[in-house]
Amino acid sequence: MRTVLPADNEHMIETRNLVKAVDTSEGVLTILKGISIHIAAGEAVAIIGASGSGKSTLLGLMAGLDGSSSGEILLDGYELSELDEEQRAILRGQLVGFVFQSFQLLPSLTALENVMLPIELKGDAQAREKAVSLLERVGLEERWHHYPNQLSGGEQQRVAIARAFATKARILFADEPTGNLDTATGSKVVDLLFELNREYATTLVLVTHDDRLASRCDRKLQLVAGELVSDESTEEAASA
Amino acid sequence: MNLLRKQLVPEASSKILTDNKPLGNLFNLSMRLLWRDWQGGELRLLFLALVMAVTSVTGIALFTDRLEKALLLESANMLAADRIVSGRGVLPEEVLEEGQARGLRTAEILSFTSMAFTDSGNMLVAAKAVTDGYPLRGDVIIAEEPFVRGRPVQNGPSPGEVWLESRALSALEIEVGDSIFVGEAELIVSQIIIAEPDRSGGSMMDSAGPRLMLHMDDVIATNVVQLGSRVSYRYLFAADEIGELDSFEEWFRAREEWRGRYYIRDIREESEEVREALERAESFLLLGSLFAVLLAGVAIALTAKRYSERHYDYVAILKTFGCTSSQISFIYLSIQIALAAIAVVVGWLLGWLVHWVILIFLESLLLISLPEPSIQPYVVGAMTAFICLLSFALPPLLALRETPPLRVLRKDMSQQKIGANVPYVFGILGTIFLVFWYSQDFVLTSVLVISVGAIALFLSIVSYLFLRSSGSAGMKAGSAWLLAMTAARRRRKQNVLQVMVFSITIMSLLILTLLRTDLIEEWQAQLPENTPNHFMMNITQNQIEGIESFFVENGIQGNQFYPLISARVTRVNGDLPDPGDEDQVTASRGTLTENAQLDDEIENLELEGVEIDSEIAEAVSGPQTDAPPVNGEEATTGGRRVRGQLSRRQVTWAEDLPSENLITEGAWWGSESQPGYVSIEQEYAEWLDLKLGDSLEFEVNQQIVSAEVSSFRSVRWDNMQPNFFIIFSPGTIDHIGATFLSTALMEREQKILLNDLIRLFPTMVIIEIDGLIEQIQTIIAQVTSAIELISILVLLSGALVLLACVNASLDERFHENAILRTLGAGKKLILTSLLIEFASIGFVAGLIATIGAEASVYYLQEEIFEQEFSLHYWVWIAGPLLGMLIIAGLGVNSTRKVVNISPLNVLRGVI
Repeated sequence: MRTVLPADNEHMIETRNLVKAVDTSEGVLTILKGISIHIAAGEAVAIIGASGSGKSTLLGLMAGLDGSSSGEILLDGYELSELDEEQRAILRGQLVGFVFQSFQLLPSLTALENVMLPIELKGDAQAREKAVSLLERVGLEERWHHYPNQLSGGEQQRVAIARAFATKARILFADEPTGNLDTATGSKVVDLLFELNREYATTLVLVTHDDRLASRCDRKLQLVAGELVSDESTEEAASA
Repeated sequence: MNLLRKQLVPEASSKILTDNKPLGNLFNLSMRLLWRDWQGGELRLLFLALVMAVTSVTGIALFTDRLEKALLLESANMLAADRIVSGRGVLPEEVLEEGQARGLRTAEILSFTSMAFTDSGNMLVAAKAVTDGYPLRGDVIIAEEPFVRGRPVQNGPSPGEVWLESRALSALEIEVGDSIFVGEAELIVSQIIIAEPDRSGGSMMDSAGPRLMLHMDDVIATNVVQLGSRVSYRYLFAADEIGELDSFEEWFRAREEWRGRYYIRDIREESEEVREALERAESFLLLGSLFAVLLAGVAIALTAKRYSERHYDYVAILKTFGCTSSQISFIYLSIQIALAAIAVVVGWLLGWLVHWVILIFLESLLLISLPEPSIQPYVVGAMTAFICLLSFALPPLLALRETPPLRVLRKDMSQQKIGANVPYVFGILGTIFLVFWYSQDFVLTSVLVISVGAIALFLSIVSYLFLRSSGSAGMKAGSAWLLAMTAARRRRKQNVLQVMVFSITIMSLLILTLLRTDLIEEWQAQLPENTPNHFMMNITQNQIEGIESFFVENGIQGNQFYPLISARVTRVNGDLPDPGDEDQVTASRGTLTENAQLDDEIENLELEGVEIDSEIAEAVSGPQTDAPPVNGEEATTGGRRVRGQLSRRQVTWAEDLPSENLITEGAWWGSESQPGYVSIEQEYAEWLDLKLGDSLEFEVNQQIVSAEVSSFRSVRWDNMQPNFFIIFSPGTIDHIGATFLSTALMEREQKILLNDLIRLFPTMVIIEIDGLIEQIQTIIAQVTSAIELISILVLLSGALVLLACVNASLDERFHENAILRTLGAGKKLILTSLLIEFASIGFVAGLIATIGAEASVYYLQEEIFEQEFSLHYWVWIAGPLLGMLIIAGLGVNSTRKVVNISPLNVLRGVI
């Protein structure tokens, strides 16, 4: 297994021998088996693998949404296992943005309010202006007052992307962002995601089983049954 | 490098891991969520449940607060005062002075019997001298003509005047304006008394003839009241502040030297029937409001649970944005407090409206004007909302803080840390607190909590077992049935909870209905329409026929004549009687004319040669101060107290068992009776430790008579009929000679006939209790209306719980049925299966509720309301049927949406 270490950049995300095991009725099930990776600041990394390979689990652990069984995760230098859930929440609020397969917009808030939410939670008085400008950026200026159930899937995901960039998060975790969208819509959403990612110089971790989407990232990490089987830059992969 | 970074972590943490989310922003967010959830209908049921709790509690509290004050006031009218001090002989002046010094209003009453003379005749009257303040409560109704409706006044006659009862005028052949002699004083008859407030509160002397009321200043001039005269003094006290009365009463009771000689009392002690009616009504109202709050609490718990379940995703998302658990708690606490505050205000308004509507309904019945309510009901309403919220709603909402953020990736993750039963524990603790807070009664609280707990446990086991078996029962009954039963079985856990909630709701409603019906029926039975309202005593054997024909001629409803003779048990199986505990026999005995000083007042009372002693009063209305005195203790013998003997009893003999007497052991002699037998009241028998076949020796009119105990009887003491501890078989004591006692029902317009009756049978003594009966019937009617209206409020709370319970399962049903419809199931199939599922849940709930209700009513009636219990057969049909109809109706109505909206919308999560 080859590991590509970033030459100059500091590691924004680093995992060392990460293990996640859960108790089931049939005994202990190990979902992740000693994953060690480095992701540099500003890098776009895709985690690929079949269903059940542990992609989303890895993403959840790296984002501090869940605790590991053993091993270490460093997020911008913070050792997550040393933080409790309250501290991890604060860290997420300061550092991390999310885009989910199922959009995860709050159904009782309008598109605008959904985007405003994380900005407001940070105590920013300019929440409304910032949210409006982001919605314009994702092309939804006409639909800001609509509720999620009044928007199409593509529109909902665009709202979610606007929300993810609203607080200028330094790391963006995207879990199957096109999983619920048709190919054409998915492709537009992905264009938008990468565009904004470049604009904001965000570190992107993207979970997908779509190889074409993965190829748009700088690196691809492939998981098979909880093990990291390959870690290669997309250029290398393309030239190989 | 890595080592270095690690070492930097603590420093970095302190720099950026400080949470700087302003509380104001969190509050704004929570208010926005509140508004959106409100618009989306998410909070409506929770809000409604809260409003319902506040409305019912505030409404009931406002109503009972005012009604209770009014009833007390009305009852005080029966005393003409709030407190009365009475006793043997002249009362200490000090009592009156103390009352006046404390700012109480006071008045004095002196009752005595006297002959009233005119030129054309004379008659024995029950004279009552009053001071200027009389009556302190209530009105004297007077008129210028006899036997008319009259007008209320708040004073007695002026000096030099007398007021007479209608029938006295015709007997004395005088009119208003004529003069009359009372003793040596000549007074002018200025008004006719139609009614006086404290007619029932007086002594036997007050019932011994028509009323003559005079001013206290004229008493000396009559020269009737002299040293050794039989008179009854009363001091009346009233105040607007109940606290002043209480502290005055405390002061009075602290005087050891007055104990046993002078008494202070309010209406509750004055009339057992009124006291019981008030206490039962209070217990019922208390129980009613408890049920209402409890049901609203269940509705709150159910809706809050559903609300919190629908908010798992919110919390997970908020957490991914960096919200900490305590911030989540802050957000949801703000939402709930704001919601509760609005609910409290709305509940107050509605509660006021409810009590106002009740008052409008009752306007014709409530003959009294209600005093303004205190602030207490509003405080109780608000506190109830917050306690309900704290105990029923907060636990599931606070559990939200434990929602793992990973839920944004994995839907199946929900809050893990808080135990599933924690909300119930809080709910139970909250309930116990509320019950105790309302009742202020530790015993009642423990009893209710333990029994409800036991019932809940029983219900959950039964409903679980029933639902477990229902799956196989439906296998052969077609697809809708099958669908319903498998659905019921699949949701077994939720359904057990649903059945439990439904059962407890229906049970509460049944309990209230049953208690209400039984209470009202018993009250009505106690004083039915044709209750005799006049007692006639001292009748001789040869007068009976004449009296009977007088009644027949004048259309008066007469009753059986009982021989009356004074007797005392002297030996039991040849030994001296050895009675048990003194209090046993009188413990639960209530009488209409009961008051503690009665026997003192009427000792040796000579009325035209007739001796009335305490035991005549007993025969009329039940035992008086009666623990039959113990050997060595003071005993009353014909009014004289003798040591070492059992007291005398008025006894009788009869061929037929008197009505409302039940043989509890042995057999009644019937028509072929033999002399030498005696039937004993069962508690009296227990007190003397008698057994069937015991041989008793009596002293009757200085003769010794023996009889064998052939039966024990239970006697209903509160029915205002002649009742006896001891009844002999005919022929046993007949030869000794007795006078007779009977009762009659005379309408108001027939009362003038009393004059003729007394003229025809001058030795007869008539005791009039018609005024008293009327007053009691009025109070009972008022209390009954209050009870009925509170039942309706509880019913509404119950309906809300049912609705909340059905709604709690809506989400899952929407989803399941959308899938079924997507798979091709028709609307009809789904609706039929829903109908069957709800109907069977309703049937089970109704059946269980019936069992629980009967058990609870049994307990409540036996222990709290002191009533006889009997099974209510109609409930066994009505309970399950009603459960089935209500739950099926509510369920199908609420879930009809399930089949009416597009499955796509459901599956897309629009609903």
